[in-house]
Amino acid sequence: MRYLKGILLLGLVFAFNPAKAADDSLLPADVMNYIGYGLIVFTLILFVVVLLVVLRAFNVLTKVVLKSQGYTEEQIAAEMKPSKKEKKDNSQVWNKLLSLRPLSEEKDLLMEHEYDGIQELDNPTPSWFMFLFYSTIVFAVCYLLIYHVFGIGQLQYDEYKTEVAQADIAKKEYLSKQANRVDETTVKLTKDPAVLASGQAIFKQNCVVCHGQHAEGKVGPNLTDDFWLHGNKINDLFKTIKYGVLTKGMLSWEKTLSPKQISDVANYVKSLHGTNPPNPKEPQGIKMLDVDSTKAVTKALKKA
Amino acid sequence: MQPEKFYYDNKIVRNFGIATVVWGIIGMLVGLIIAMQLYKPEMNMGNQYTTFGRIRPLHTNAVIFAFVGNAIFMGIYYSLQRLLKARMFSDVLSKIHFWGWQLIIVSAVITLPLGITTSHEYAELEWPIDILITLIWVVFGINMFGTIFKRRERHLYVAIWFYIATFVTIAVLHIVNSVELPVSLTKSYMVYAGVQDALVQWWYGHNAVAFFLTTPYLGMMYYFLPKMANRPIYSYKLSILHFWALIFIYIWAGPHHLLYTTLPGWAQSLGVAFSIMLIAPSWGGMINGLLTLRGAWDKVRDDVVLKFMVVGLTAYGMATFEGPMLSLKQINAFAHFSDWIIAHVHVGALGWNGFLTFAILYWLIPRIYQTELFSKKLASFHFWIGTLGILFYVVPMYWAGFTQGLMLKEFTPEGILKYPNFLETTLRIIPMHVMRSIGGTMYLVGVIAMAYNLARTMMQGSLVANEAAQAMPLEPFKKSDTELAWHRRLERKPIKFMIISLLVILVGTFVELMPTLTISSNIPTIASVKPYTPLELQGRDLYIREGCSNCHSQTVRPFRSETERYGEYSKAGEFVYDHPFLWGSKRTGPDLAREGSKYPDAWHYNHLMDPRSMSPGSIMPDYDWLITQKLDTSLTVAKINAMRTLGVPYAPGYEKVANRDLDKQAKGIADNLAKDHIKVSSDKEIVAIIAYLQRLGMDIKANKTPEK
Repeated sequence: MRYLKGILLLGLVFAFNPAKAADDSLLPADVMNYIGYGLIVFTLILFVVVLLVVLRAFNVLTKVVLKSQGYTEEQIAAEMKPSKKEKKDNSQVWNKLLSLRPLSEEKDLLMEHEYDGIQELDNPTPSWFMFLFYSTIVFAVCYLLIYHVFGIGQLQYDEYKTEVAQADIAKKEYLSKQANRVDETTVKLTKDPAVLASGQAIFKQNCVVCHGQHAEGKVGPNLTDDFWLHGNKINDLFKTIKYGVLTKGMLSWEKTLSPKQISDVANYVKSLHGTNPPNPKEPQGIKMLDVDSTKAVTKALKKA
Repeated sequence: MQPEKFYYDNKIVRNFGIATVVWGIIGMLVGLIIAMQLYKPEMNMGNQYTTFGRIRPLHTNAVIFAFVGNAIFMGIYYSLQRLLKARMFSDVLSKIHFWGWQLIIVSAVITLPLGITTSHEYAELEWPIDILITLIWVVFGINMFGTIFKRRERHLYVAIWFYIATFVTIAVLHIVNSVELPVSLTKSYMVYAGVQDALVQWWYGHNAVAFFLTTPYLGMMYYFLPKMANRPIYSYKLSILHFWALIFIYIWAGPHHLLYTTLPGWAQSLGVAFSIMLIAPSWGGMINGLLTLRGAWDKVRDDVVLKFMVVGLTAYGMATFEGPMLSLKQINAFAHFSDWIIAHVHVGALGWNGFLTFAILYWLIPRIYQTELFSKKLASFHFWIGTLGILFYVVPMYWAGFTQGLMLKEFTPEGILKYPNFLETTLRIIPMHVMRSIGGTMYLVGVIAMAYNLARTMMQGSLVANEAAQAMPLEPFKKSDTELAWHRRLERKPIKFMIISLLVILVGTFVELMPTLTISSNIPTIASVKPYTPLELQGRDLYIREGCSNCHSQTVRPFRSETERYGEYSKAGEFVYDHPFLWGSKRTGPDLAREGSKYPDAWHYNHLMDPRSMSPGSIMPDYDWLITQKLDTSLTVAKINAMRTLGVPYAPGYEKVANRDLDKQAKGIADNLAKDHIKVSSDKEIVAIIAYLQRLGMDIKANKTPEK
């Protein structure tokens, strides 16, 4: 039983927290899908198996209980096939709960009319049913009062304001503890391999569709040559990625990538300069000196 | 007095039965194809007539109106005659009804793949077919009431109450929801726009479920279940209570399809409140059915027909409990637009409608053919594979719904969406969609087994086309017989009964529709919202033709997850020129309400030609014919005129220069594409649809630009 629970929990974890695996990106998406197939088949089969087991358990349980009450094998066999004889009406509680009259009293309830042989009984509506009906009506009235008379409940636009306000507070609080708050003015050029690796991953995932596998340019421009449309400084790159330049077809990534991720991918793009990939797209924009690198070079020269 | 001899018409019942099976198989097969298209875009078969957007309506129409529709008429024509002890009023009308209905279905099968659609869900058929439906429905009504008038039974049994309610309410729903202004034989515009159109559509859509998929089936259940089990109906009082409560409350619940949209808050809340109150009246039918089986449960073990009935009733109970739960705001917030809804409706469709239909077919066909069912074993196989099929269908879909619903709402601590790319969530649920199609296949295999079984049954027996019966003629009602119970009195007055049912359903209809349709303050206008340009209007009609709204919604709900993903939430005033509204009901792809200027024209061109070139892994079909097909501008004048009639403020005489404006705007887009080395002539359809996509949401965005 414990194992079963464990497996089910695992299933739930996969179902409700699909983020986990992708986050660590230990498994590629299609492998995840295969695991998904497996899990679903497994759950469904498990479901069927459990049903069968429960059915069987009930049968066995009936046998055991009957035996302990001193029934003989034949009697048990007879009991297990109740289609032969009507069972004793031992479900008084159940009947009461459903406000059912015993079947033996049915004759008194038959109404005089019949339609094509169909008769009707004059049973009252079950009391629990009426209770259900009345309580839903009470619920409905309260619901309308809460939202539209007393104004306790928030309607959708107030709800939205609250949601956004709460999220803003949470976000600020989180970011104040983080050091990675960068924007287009504070972004720094770096050759840190960890940053470049992260940038490369982001590039492969988001940018290759337009800029090509090796940034050689496809729909978007070549990012490895000396020609730039919107500036070639690290700050310019950050800005272009963040806000996009829609008239030229560059999308805004502000809502998709975090500031740290934009900085990483901007640095990665910088690192691609001069890599001369095969099939480059024709130059677009104006020729620009690599100011950042030049600065670094002049700095280095000065030091020397 | 002598008993009269007369004959039941069994042939019409048989005909509707065969139509049920044939259309059922076709409808489900189309369903299976579109299910596979959702993980294998190649299943769209590379031509425009079989894309998801065009044949998903075919699936829903075939299953609802062809499969269930024919089954309803089969059940009604069989039970009505016997409950009234009279042959159908007119054999000619029966025939017209049968062939007329098949003609409607065939015209749906032809027009929907051609892209001739109004885009109103479950009412996609264009205006000439709408008129045909109205006529045939009247024929059905005359035939039914004619039979009621010449009945040999004083009182109307509960089944017939449900049939009467079905007849009047469907008539009202169909007429109100089909008020269109024709532009040509195959094109019309809805008279209502935006929020109003949405409200009318979902008042209709919800009650089509209520009065086409539920009430006639409850009526059939009340006739066939006691016959099958040979047991009396459990409670006459419960029948009365749940019948009136059901038809009164159901009609109010439509707005729960529009929670968190721009529908006024009070209308949304009414929808929720009445949905909750609907639980008990819906369950009344299930309880009365299941308790009728009291004392006959041993029969259920042996009789496959009763097994179908029990599972059907249980599925009905589950779906009618789930529905009210889904209408609660907190659940609706992430269940709406997701696969959860697909699971929900299929519990009802496969379980309740499907299984009840199968039970009735298995019970009725051998009887009118005076023989035994060809194979009980095969029927039993059908029951089990059908039940498992439902399970294998709905479990993965619930799973997919939860997964995607939660993923789309998840944020990182940095305050950005965890899955900003919608496609990522789509790809995650592909295994569930594969599984679902396996479940669907199992269910379909069962139906095919049934078709074979019934065909062999028919072959081994012979149809009793006219079944002899006799009954005493109805004596004139004597005043001295007055009954005390008011309902008993009502049951012998069919016209009064119909009028009262009509009034009962009109209460909710008026309270909900009238304020939104007539009081202008319910829809605040926005000054910057302008009518579509002629090119955009043409593009919008292409969007409708291709059925884009089957997968893409056009309404941003006021949630942080949606305003971050799509942009500012939608306002009622944005939709005032939308005849019809295109909010959609399912997000297989992302919302498009703020699509304008999100991507460059070239992106849209490449994406429509081959979605996978811009979004690797996308499951959207290629729309490459938009590039080769020339835009038909011959209707521009008529379209502008029609829109003006509907209240869209195009300047007088604008229709004369509309096509010139259209050409100018198209040239601009073609030039823009040329800059990105895309050569396309400006008279192609793709230019129009790009114009429309680039317009979406811009009226409000234009206001916002100065901020940045």
